[in-house]
Amino acid sequence: MPHQCTNCERTFPDGSKEMLSGCPDCGGNKFQFVPAAAVDSSGGADPTAGEGSATDRADSPTRERADPDSLRTEDGFSEWPETARRPEDRQGSTSASGSPGGRSVDGDAGGDDTSRTGRGTSRADDSSTPPGDATRTEIEDTTPEEEAPRADAEDAAQADARSGFVPREELPDPPDPPESTDDGPPSDGRVVSEPTGERPSMEELREELNDQFESIKIVNPGQYELNLMELYDREEYIVSLQEDGRYVIDVPDSWRQGE
Amino acid sequence: MGLFTGLRHSISRVTDRLFSEQEPKRIGIYGPPNAGKTTLANRIARDWTGDAIGKESHIPHETRRARRKEGVEIERNGKSVTIDIVDTPGVTTKVDYEEFTDEMDKDDAIRRSREATEGVAEAMHWLREDVDGVIYVLDSAEDPITQVNTMLIGIIESRDLPVLIFANKIDLEESSVKRIEDAFPQHETVPLSAKEGDNMDEVYENIAEYFG
Repeated sequence: MPHQCTNCERTFPDGSKEMLSGCPDCGGNKFQFVPAAAVDSSGGADPTAGEGSATDRADSPTRERADPDSLRTEDGFSEWPETARRPEDRQGSTSASGSPGGRSVDGDAGGDDTSRTGRGTSRADDSSTPPGDATRTEIEDTTPEEEAPRADAEDAAQADARSGFVPREELPDPPDPPESTDDGPPSDGRVVSEPTGERPSMEELREELNDQFESIKIVNPGQYELNLMELYDREEYIVSLQEDGRYVIDVPDSWRQGE
Repeated sequence: MGLFTGLRHSISRVTDRLFSEQEPKRIGIYGPPNAGKTTLANRIARDWTGDAIGKESHIPHETRRARRKEGVEIERNGKSVTIDIVDTPGVTTKVDYEEFTDEMDKDDAIRRSREATEGVAEAMHWLREDVDGVIYVLDSAEDPITQVNTMLIGIIESRDLPVLIFANKIDLEESSVKRIEDAFPQHETVPLSAKEGDNMDEVYENIAEYFG
């Protein structure tokens, strides 16, 4: 049960499209991915096993919820090939038989421990010897290579979810996400103009900004240009100008209340 | 002014009781520098309260802080209005100390210029926050169609503030009230000379009617 609604804790199979328009139960739109590894090798392959938060994770309700599932569908998990997991998970599982995973297994070894630990150890046995080495070298090699078998190993739902489309009526708004993926940068959405060889001088830029934003432009000491519209529109107003170019403004009360 | 003062007294006794609880309207006197805003404000204040508001000068930007005279009660033809007069610094888009260097030394000119700029900011702020009606004063000897006048009157219209346009300085030879009427036909234009006190009866009539 890799995806879980963080609100109502409903779980969805990997690749489920149901959750794409929000959790059908509670409408929540935040989901966490519960890696297969976390379920399957409660003893071993917690993705964060190496980061010290492993124990936190192990104590979390997610984990506790996952456990009964893992028991129930225990057989099913052999279907999750090593390559279908994230590299960290894999690495975790290979080293899992070692310290962190082992600890957490001991930690929640309550009533259902036997089967799990049994599985955990057998798993460790399986993978730590020849396949374990294999995976490790795979990881040490570059990622593209490992990406391939992983893609092959996608189950049908996952593959479908990647290429499939959500029915139009389920989408909140017309904009079509796939459209933007392969077109490169959209030609009509540009805000900035194409960079040209000539750069506007600092002078010109300042001019432009002054025109846009300044209510009072100090041309020289004693010479001012005023933008009446700006002066009128602004809630704050300039109370005093000082010789050194500093000025005092009156800040409306509403600003202070906001703090 | 004798006739006028007598009239004022006889009417005020009646209208005092009728309108005294009315919240004073805050009327801003706006316009470009040197249109005669302070001269007008002083005349109104002197006519109805005996006090002046501020110093008048032929040098632009004499008024660099908005000045207020509160509770000025004006009555005309049975209509009465109590207003707070706000004399504002002349609004302009450019302030240059070199305009004043003939009249004062450079440092003073620069200071005047800086204060005038602050004054414009203040005037614009008042317009946004604190004014219930506007008397827009123009020098009728000058071309009224300027960027400042167009913009300010536009802002005033956008706020739906009652506005009277005063064509001041009709005592000058070059004065043309028609030029102002033609420039802003959507508003009532009142000719006057604040300096000479010409046509002030009509001025007060209009103030009482518009802002009453």
